[in-house]
Amino acid sequence: MTASEIRPARVAVPSLAVRARDVLGSEWAKLRSVRSTYWTLLIAAVTSIGISAAVALTFVTQPSAGRPRIDPLLPGFLSLEYAVVAAGVLGVLSFGSEHASGLIRTTFAAVPRRRAVLAAKAAVAGTVTLIAGELLCFASFFLVQAILSGKHLGVSLSRPGVAGAVLGEGVLLSVCAMLGLGLGAMIRHTAGAVAALFGLLFLPAIVGLLPAPWNDRIGRFTLVYAAQQVAALHARAGLFSPGLSMLVVIAWPAAVLLAAAVLITRRDV
Amino acid sequence: MIEVDRLSKRFGAVTAVDGLSFAVRPGHVTGFLGPNGAGKTTTMRIILGLTASTSGTALVGGRRYREIARPLHQVGSLLDANAVHGGRTARRHLLSVARSNGIGRRRATEMLRLTGLEPVADRRAGGFSLGMKQRLGIATALLGDPPVLMFDEPVNGLDTEGIQWIRELFKSLSAEGRTVFVSSHLMSEMALAADHLIIIGRGRLIADTPTARFVESNSRRDVLVRSPRAADLAGLLTAHGAAVLPESDGGLAVTGMDAPAVGRLAAAHGIAVHELVPRHASLERAYLDITGDSVEYRAGVPAGDGGHGQ
Repeated sequence: MTASEIRPARVAVPSLAVRARDVLGSEWAKLRSVRSTYWTLLIAAVTSIGISAAVALTFVTQPSAGRPRIDPLLPGFLSLEYAVVAAGVLGVLSFGSEHASGLIRTTFAAVPRRRAVLAAKAAVAGTVTLIAGELLCFASFFLVQAILSGKHLGVSLSRPGVAGAVLGEGVLLSVCAMLGLGLGAMIRHTAGAVAALFGLLFLPAIVGLLPAPWNDRIGRFTLVYAAQQVAALHARAGLFSPGLSMLVVIAWPAAVLLAAAVLITRRDV
Repeated sequence: MIEVDRLSKRFGAVTAVDGLSFAVRPGHVTGFLGPNGAGKTTTMRIILGLTASTSGTALVGGRRYREIARPLHQVGSLLDANAVHGGRTARRHLLSVARSNGIGRRRATEMLRLTGLEPVADRRAGGFSLGMKQRLGIATALLGDPPVLMFDEPVNGLDTEGIQWIRELFKSLSAEGRTVFVSSHLMSEMALAADHLIIIGRGRLIADTPTARFVESNSRRDVLVRSPRAADLAGLLTAHGAAVLPESDGGLAVTGMDAPAVGRLAAAHGIAVHELVPRHASLERAYLDITGDSVEYRAGVPAGDGGHGQ
């Protein structure tokens, strides 16, 4: 070695907490600096508020004689079907876009602890979609109830179980973003991961076609059934309780993220 | 300092890197040469902990890359200039990478200025030319002011001015005592930019030598001469100290004597000369020769001080 060899500035390696904060800061900067983040959130907002209002309006304009009894929270829940896909895509893109461009190598070269990257991406996308989900669910709740109250069909937030159901509903966007994120990390192609996300979200609902009681016995483990149970005012018999259903809802993304955490350190990029 | 020791990487049946050992020293620009598919990129990815080796080790500053906390302060790298999110601006790209290693905004702005990207810093990288992306990649590599720098094919896409700029940059970085490791498949470029060469073919080491020595031993000059009395002329030339090699088409390849001297000698002895051409084998030719198909049987031939013996 020559005498002039330069050595890195001898700064002590900062604590794990500081390094974690910096990786979080980096992922937060990435999420904020691409348009897809805003587009997916906008789509989630427009669909959830627009569709819940449309469903509520359709409902109140039917003649009262033939009007079916519905759960006053149902319009809000139905509208989420599209918003969760948008949130899922936001999650997929977090890794998918980096794999598509090769940026993932820059990312992993800067932070060789790949699980820290996964955790930071999950924290950032999870928080943004959780806040967005809660805001949207409460916004569409108030809109729907304003429409329904014209026919005295609405329900107040202070009624037991309502606030919890709306809060639970608000978690779903984040849950789907985490599913998408994990799938994106594992599948590494945006289109493939989005397809897998659709499959994971909607395919298990096929068990609804099974003869009773198997439809509910198996169905209660699926995301769609469990999410319905979490967000409903009146829990359905035959499924898990809303509390247990919430655990099912959280277990899905947890399992996918865990699988991603195992795979992500083993593969070449 | 980069140390690669008996490094191998197999992808299924394909052996991309095959028992490769070399060291890249500080204070030099080391060119990493080899034809496309020789294993340069794979080797660089292994050094950066992106790809796992099948066997062998790669150390940077004595440590495995993956064990380095905040590695941008130790190693700066540019593997693929296109590896940026097209929708993100140059500045925000740089800031997000900087942030991950605790590097501040001021340093990132400084790198944008150094690479001449400041005027376009707030434009989306998707609209950049390859040359501009190369500059952004170099800015990224320099963020942590690292003692070790690795660039994979950095001159691709650069215009003449850009190539000159990057050559000067490498020289100044190595003059500061940094380790600069640059891959290329172009011998001509590396002959100008690098002062040490590591040449590989099919994943194996072919040469590890100072550039000057490689140039000296490979840019042979000779003189082609044709004469109806080739045999007589050959004897005459040899007697006057030249070395003569008959070519398959009857010409003579003469070394150790320049063309005017050959002509004078022939004229003095009344030998007619039909053709008299000074030639010099290009460096490119020498490089192609040693990295060509015969590589496998000639590994280690033009060895230098890398310990791969002659």
